[in-house]
Amino acid sequence: MTPLALLLTFSSLLFTLGLLAVLTRRNAILILVGIELMLNAANLNFIAFWRYGPPDPDLTGPMFVLFSIAIAAAEAAVGLAIILMVFRHTRSTDLNRLDSLHG
Amino acid sequence: MTLLENLQHANPALWSPEWLPRLPQRLVEILLQSCGAPDWLVTLAGLFVAAGTVVGVFLSAFALLSLIERKTLARAQNRIGPNRAGWFGILQPVADGIKMLTKEDIVPAKAEWLLHLAAPILIVVPPILALGVIPYGREWVPVRVELGLLFFFAVGTLTELSVFMAGWASGSKFPMLGAMRAISQMVSYELPLMISALGVIMVTGSLSLPAIVAHQAGFHLGFIPAWNLFTPWGLSAGLIFYVASIAEANRCPFDLPEGESEIVAGHMTEYSGFKYALFFMGEYLGLFSIAGLGVTLFLGGWQAPLPGLGLVPSWIWFFAKLAVVIMSYLWIRATFPRVRIDQLMRFAWLCLIPMALLTIPAAAIWHYAGGGVLGWLATVPLLLIPWVVLTVVYNRRLAPTTRSYTFADS
Amino acid sequence: MTPLLILTPLILLAALGAVWNARPVHAALLLALALALIAVLYLIIGADFIGLVQFMVYVGAIAVLIVFSLLITRPGDEAEELARRPRSLVTGLACVLPVLAILVYAVSRVVKFPDAPVENPSVSIAQVGQVLFTSYAPAVLTVGVLLTAVMIGAALFARDPGKNPQFPSDS
Repeated sequence: MTPLALLLTFSSLLFTLGLLAVLTRRNAILILVGIELMLNAANLNFIAFWRYGPPDPDLTGPMFVLFSIAIAAAEAAVGLAIILMVFRHTRSTDLNRLDSLHG
Repeated sequence: MTLLENLQHANPALWSPEWLPRLPQRLVEILLQSCGAPDWLVTLAGLFVAAGTVVGVFLSAFALLSLIERKTLARAQNRIGPNRAGWFGILQPVADGIKMLTKEDIVPAKAEWLLHLAAPILIVVPPILALGVIPYGREWVPVRVELGLLFFFAVGTLTELSVFMAGWASGSKFPMLGAMRAISQMVSYELPLMISALGVIMVTGSLSLPAIVAHQAGFHLGFIPAWNLFTPWGLSAGLIFYVASIAEANRCPFDLPEGESEIVAGHMTEYSGFKYALFFMGEYLGLFSIAGLGVTLFLGGWQAPLPGLGLVPSWIWFFAKLAVVIMSYLWIRATFPRVRIDQLMRFAWLCLIPMALLTIPAAAIWHYAGGGVLGWLATVPLLLIPWVVLTVVYNRRLAPTTRSYTFADS
Repeated sequence: MTPLLILTPLILLAALGAVWNARPVHAALLLALALALIAVLYLIIGADFIGLVQFMVYVGAIAVLIVFSLLITRPGDEAEELARRPRSLVTGLACVLPVLAILVYAVSRVVKFPDAPVENPSVSIAQVGQVLFTSYAPAVLTVGVLLTAVMIGAALFARDPGKNPQFPSDS
């Protein structure tokens, strides 16, 4: 098994773990945990192809991952801010209970 | 080759005072090479000895500093300080160590023992990692990392997670409140810390700490050292770095997370014995590492302050500057009262971050103006006017008016 | 290859713990561990800059944000989550296993690149900076605008509405 195949399989498994978290978790913050795992799996794909693929002088892999990390940070900040606002209003982060639009 | 032949063929400068801190590492490497050990073992053993040297030096400095701090604070408060354990209290750190080691290790019943145990261990790891990349002398950098400054900041962010673990795993209210305060303070003051270091990186053109020190070589006008602190953007960035480093190390006046008069000991409340000693050690080692970084970035690292003083070994200059910076930390601790949490946040976000952001264009203008009189003329107004606006004009609304005491004045 | 073979199962175990552990704080700390191990993986592969940035941003900022919000919202009562475990596991796996099958099939169809470099490529920070500010300058500016918008939005969320309530949800 080449290193590239190992890393790609591993990142697919990581992606499915993140997807499992998003689908089965009840706490809104733990769903964000799953989203971060999915983003990391995609980043790992980029780095694996940059390292074990054809040589790229334009550094596409690391650059994409850099922007992906920056955007993931921004999205985590906004997502947590929204969750905390909803928590302030309804005192709960349970998604099963947050199913109506008007408080 | 035998040991004697190896020693004879070694670099003759090995026995000079400049190489003194590297001597244990080189001796172990030569010994292993003469025994015919493989290359990787020689390198590994050399690195172990280098790490051991750094840890040994800074742990003894930590022990000495705990005594010096208590004596300095005592003298500032018009009392004597510890003087019972040995001549002038010199054995006080030994007595403290014995006390910490023999105390009972209490873990609360509602605490999670695994995280409770892991937190003090994890809080000592980042400062020791960070101490490994600082250039202490011309020949003495424990690990040469090309991205040294980025590595330093990256391991510094691990401290926040360990503080959270300590606060949450204790399972009681005071530690959790202390952990919340500590994390928000550390996160807020990390931004001015990193942004003020950006100007230095920009002007030097490299993230490697030995390169930053080498860039500050030379003297202006024959006797003023070319350190980064003696430029307008460097002075501004250096002062911001200094204040932010006090907040990052949780020292007074920013020691709200461990304010003894308010929340007992913050996130360290439920710790006793050796675990508390590890917290203490982590805080002081963090102080050493961030003061060392400040000396490297702004005070020229191991460069001598005057042209003729190159005879003195470079690591002596580094530790002298480090001692001056740490004495100033102790002095500030003895002098200033603690700030409130809202004053702390306001100061970070509304004063330090705008000023830190302004040092970046100031550094760029300075670099392209060549650094002479034109550079000074262009950058000083850029930095001075916003500072005056932020600190004097903007705070006039918040400054307390003169208090009148009804019963005392009558 | 051997470091990868050692590191990959560890990351998967930590991610499994983050996804499946019923106690939220433990899950968040296991996520921090998984992210730190992924940063180590990047460093081993040779993406030094990205590895350190991953450590600084993901472990040092995002994981801290997650545990901080867990500290504020203080979730409890894992008994309810544990009670629904069997049914949620079955439905979760039913939705997730087809995705895994498609991904593994796609991986198996990847053409093997003939000249993969044996040793790690050395990328200097000067090269990164050059590429970032010439080829990717529009992206940098866009991300700057995005982050400013995020900061303003988060500050708006966090403000104390008691002083001047403007929205019906404020009072």
